[in-house]
Amino acid sequence: MFRFEDVSKIYRGRSREVRALDGVSLEIDPGQFVVVRGPSGSGKTTLLLMMGGMLRPTSGRVLVDGIDVYTMSDRDRARFRAERIGFVFQMFHLVPYLNVTDNVLLPAAAGKDRSARARAGGLLDRLSLSQREHHKPSELSAGERQRVAIARAVVTGPKLLLADEPTGNLDPDNAAEVIGHLAAFQRDGGTVIVVTHGTIADPHADRILQIRDGQL
Amino acid sequence: MTTVPLILKEIGHRKLNFLLGLFGVVGAVTLFVFFFTASEASRKETARLMRDIGLNLRIIPKQTDMNRFWSMGFSDQTMPEDYVRRLASNRGLNYRHMLATLQKRVVWRDREVILTGILPEVSPPDAPKPSMSFTIKPGTAYVGYELAQGLGLKRGDAVEIFGKRFTIERCLSESGSEDDIRIYGHLHDVQGMVKLPGQINEIKALNCVCLTPGQDSLSILREQLERVLPEAKVIQMQAIAKAREKQRQTVERYLAFIMPFVLVVCVVWVGVLAMMNVRERRQEIGILRAIGHGSAKIAGLFLGRAVVLGAFGAAVGFAVGTGVALWFGPEIFRITAKAIKPMYVLLGWSLLGAPAFSALACFIPTTVAVTQDPAVTLSQE
Repeated sequence: MFRFEDVSKIYRGRSREVRALDGVSLEIDPGQFVVVRGPSGSGKTTLLLMMGGMLRPTSGRVLVDGIDVYTMSDRDRARFRAERIGFVFQMFHLVPYLNVTDNVLLPAAAGKDRSARARAGGLLDRLSLSQREHHKPSELSAGERQRVAIARAVVTGPKLLLADEPTGNLDPDNAAEVIGHLAAFQRDGGTVIVVTHGTIADPHADRILQIRDGQL
Repeated sequence: MTTVPLILKEIGHRKLNFLLGLFGVVGAVTLFVFFFTASEASRKETARLMRDIGLNLRIIPKQTDMNRFWSMGFSDQTMPEDYVRRLASNRGLNYRHMLATLQKRVVWRDREVILTGILPEVSPPDAPKPSMSFTIKPGTAYVGYELAQGLGLKRGDAVEIFGKRFTIERCLSESGSEDDIRIYGHLHDVQGMVKLPGQINEIKALNCVCLTPGQDSLSILREQLERVLPEAKVIQMQAIAKAREKQRQTVERYLAFIMPFVLVVCVVWVGVLAMMNVRERRQEIGILRAIGHGSAKIAGLFLGRAVVLGAFGAAVGFAVGTGVALWFGPEIFRITAKAIKPMYVLLGWSLLGAPAFSALACFIPTTVAVTQDPAVTLSQE
């Protein structure tokens, strides 16, 4: 169970304040595929990073299974992310000097898990990347890079997958394939939250949340 | 993936940044190794050259009349030969290269000569030194330049001096001093000829250059002698002593001046490059945070990289510095090439020091990396 309780986020600049989230409250049940849609600057990435335990709210609480994520120490929150959450970003954020397999095995939890390598192999197979496992990110197409990012996000078996504009840099075919992989993660029992300004994920969505000016 | 392979793969990927950093560390280590290697050789050679100028301390019987001493060139009083052994048996003194001497002006073959008997040199047990004076065997003599020229003496000649036969072992080169009219013999031979058995009238010596600038070496020497040989007094040949001390201290001051500058430049250079590395890797740091890696891992990546840079730079810098010292040292330090030898202890110090300095230089960039907010970088698409 994911729960936001009256969460606000204010970015304070030198001359002005930006209210990125404004009193957001919501609940997301396990196993749902949720699309958060809104225009650029509406606060959707802020919402996603806050769900992922990476951005402390200015006020309000973010609870996962009843635990306030931001009362945890930094170390515990890092472990929480490592064990429970997978991230997929628009820019892929693969480490440029590691090959596909090493990128997939990069999560902290994967380093301690002896079966992770075998699981990574299975994932690469499933994501049609087994021929690319020794390639560097610079040698991959955009679609392949995003599939590697998905493999990295799910290799540790997280319960929640957070995707920030995962199809933003992809052509329609690759975008559809990536959304299909996210939907497959949900079918396997995971929760997916996709932040996007498009509609490509809508057919898979259990819920669609609209965000505008920091409000749902 | 563990930290070390990540560091090595990143280095392989961003070769230019690493090579530029390496350039800085190699430069600093090279200078460090070059200066220490060449200046150590210079220090040794300077010590040898200064030492060759002559023994700068003259220990004479306390009752010596100094007017007579300066007019004659040596003391007309004597003291027991055993004094030299008594002085040399003490630890912690600043006296080195002690040479027991007995001198007497005599007329030989219608010429005034200075008959000089010497014993082999001795040094204290805590500072054994190779002899800088010649050692004369009993029955042999060394003859000063003027005397040898004037009397037509040459090596191997047998001469009789006051009824005792000597073989000339060596005719000395011109010294431009009273040494040119000396006949050197073994102390015991000369004692017999002048009928002063067991007596000497001077111990020549050299003080160690082991005092810090500002310390009055002569008063320390006098205090030490008073403690060990109250029956004697010491005179220091000031010009020789001061030239020697100044030369030694100049090289050391030069090093002490230049090395901090080199280190600061190196630290700043490596630090700036590390900061560039952190900036270039902001998104990587962000994603590492997002997938669960903590501050220790992030810090380890950057500090580990700095240590690898330092260690590699130390090894290369030692090789380059030693090579430069061997190649250019003789020209810059005006020393003989054979005086310069690789100082492997510097490799050890470099391998310890360079990674430490490199890590120190990367401290601020590492702190920036560790405290960087991943939400900021990951939301900057």
